[in-house]
Amino acid sequence: MAPLDDFTLAHFLLTGAVLFVLGMIGFLTRRNLIVMFLCTEMMFQGVAVSLAAFSRFYLHVTGQTFIIFVLTIAAAEAALALGLVVLLFRRKRTLDADAWSSMSG
Amino acid sequence: MTWALYIASVVGAVSLYLMMPRQGFNPRAFGALLGAMSLGGLWIWLAATALPNTGLPSGALPYYYIFSALAIGSAVRVITHPRPVYSALWFVLVVLASAGLFLLLTASFMAVAMVIIYGGAILVTYMFVIMLAAQTGDAADQADVADYDRVAREPVAAIAAGFVLLAVLLTVSFTPGLTAPQPGTFESQEQALLSDVLVERPAMELTALAGPAAEEAAQAQRAASVDNVEFIGVDLFRSHPLGIELAGVILLVSLVGAVVIARMRVPEEADQTLAPAEASGASVRMSYEPGPHDPSAQGQSGGRVGV
Repeated sequence: MAPLDDFTLAHFLLTGAVLFVLGMIGFLTRRNLIVMFLCTEMMFQGVAVSLAAFSRFYLHVTGQTFIIFVLTIAAAEAALALGLVVLLFRRKRTLDADAWSSMSG
Repeated sequence: MTWALYIASVVGAVSLYLMMPRQGFNPRAFGALLGAMSLGGLWIWLAATALPNTGLPSGALPYYYIFSALAIGSAVRVITHPRPVYSALWFVLVVLASAGLFLLLTASFMAVAMVIIYGGAILVTYMFVIMLAAQTGDAADQADVADYDRVAREPVAAIAAGFVLLAVLLTVSFTPGLTAPQPGTFESQEQALLSDVLVERPAMELTALAGPAAEEAAQAQRAASVDNVEFIGVDLFRSHPLGIELAGVILLVSLVGAVVIARMRVPEEADQTLAPAEASGASVRMSYEPGPHDPSAQGQSGGRVGV
């Protein structure tokens, strides 16, 4: 039995996985469009924590380089998604995702 | 030993379900207590398993627990808070806590970049859109919170799916042998990877005149002064040139796309159909009249023309 002050990779993978799963649950349960996209950002956070942990424990800096790409995609996604949200809000004056369920046929 | 993971996942799922926004009785405090218990139990169990130690200084362990608990608690609050503004503010706390985790993992540049880009840029954009679009009011009274923010959509199915995924992820990552870490420090690895780069780098001082021994000493000094930012930069531009180009293209396309979307004109007929919807508030979808492209509306109007 290891002492309590042992640091393992699984510690950080636990935090990353919990952040990812919470973001996923938030994306599925919330009906506000803005909060849904906020939850995707939280999934990015979980992935970034896992990448940094892999980078540290396997001593390879590529994990941190990938976080830069994750940040890039997150920034691009935020710009586009928020523009779309504003456009949708101007049409129907609501942020409810269910208001657009007629698009699903 | 994986049954402990499954128990913690189930208890965590129940606690998150109790904390979900809903009408009427809200057992949020009990849910938070249950969630903290499951997370703490998971940590105690994790510390007791014989996973290999990986050479981080154990003095940093309290900070890991503090930052992780802060990140997870704030993340729960992000997805359970009925007001989008407060969700965004709690998300800032998630970003700050994970920046602390990055500092523990010796990724100091990523920690700072996270705070600047996420907490500074992206979250400000979110706040702008929330202020632009949402109905503001007092934090105390619940009446002005929109109906779609007060009740979660399909919480049972979503939480079940999420925590099954969590159980699978944890089972994989807690299996000893799958995550075999390497000994050593970042610095030794950096020396090995950067040796060829550092030779190419021009010397800052005129050490070549003083002989090979002085040159070697100066190079060692330069290698020792390589920091996290420099290391990431070398890896980025030596190993991922295509990725940089693609990232630039994606940023440019999204920039142009955002400008196009922002300048797009909303059709006028949509505004007219909105007038009754605005008055009735929540029942937007019910009062939305079919547009001219709606097949049923076309059939009706066609029938009227025939008559």
